[in-house]
Amino acid sequence: MDVKSSLFQGLRASASGMSAERQRIDVVAKNLSNAQVTRMPDGSGPYRRQLVRFSTVMSRAVGQRQEPIGVRVDGVVPDMVTPLVRVHEPGHPDADPEGIVTYPNIQATSEMTDLITAVRAYESNANAAESFVRMAERALRIAQ
Amino acid sequence: MNDITSGNRMLSRLMSASTLRERTLAENIANQNVPGYERRVVTFEDALRERIVAGRSHTDLAPKISIDKTSPVGPDGNNVSLELETSAMRENRLAYEMYATMLQSRLGLQQAAITESR
Repeated sequence: MDVKSSLFQGLRASASGMSAERQRIDVVAKNLSNAQVTRMPDGSGPYRRQLVRFSTVMSRAVGQRQEPIGVRVDGVVPDMVTPLVRVHEPGHPDADPEGIVTYPNIQATSEMTDLITAVRAYESNANAAESFVRMAERALRIAQ
Repeated sequence: MNDITSGNRMLSRLMSASTLRERTLAENIANQNVPGYERRVVTFEDALRERIVAGRSHTDLAPKISIDKTSPVGPDGNNVSLELETSAMRENRLAYEMYATMLQSRLGLQQAAITESR
């Protein structure tokens, strides 16, 4: 066990958490801005809500037990479970023959919940990163 | 066992364990939204105390990272509790501060003992 690497590993773990949460915030912003998009640029149906998938990053040191060293966004996947919203709007250019327009499966409440969760998680990671700096500074003061 | 450096060495080992614990708690915080992640804990002080009470050697004792199987698991299989991690971090930082202060004052006394003889 190496102290220096522990401090910097911790700092890196916190940084990876901040980066992953920021990516989630970006995806929430993308979802909210596309909440009314009924036709994608490639001509396919409405925009689908995107979700981030997080996974733990494990250390790959040879001859050592695998330990988590951080987190990353594994992928951004479309939400195929939440149903799309169908609205009767016969005059809409994307209405089907029965006059139904299909809107994205985005609900402002769940997006805002995700946003708040991600912001809180981001802050807690930032606080953890701060504490490594303070510990390193304290250790340096021993020699004074 | 009573030579002047053994206490210093023990304090620096306690500081190392504390650093490792801080890192482990930071990893728990980083993984708070990963489904299925199980929080890690570092144990050292209790094992050290046991060895000292039993009068056994503890120079080979190293901090141990283990998986917490007792904390309540949320619906996504993740058992990280942000309140728990934050309070454990605070406690750990206070312990680190205490070890550092003790080490610093010991070193100060030893310095004084050395310079006094000049």
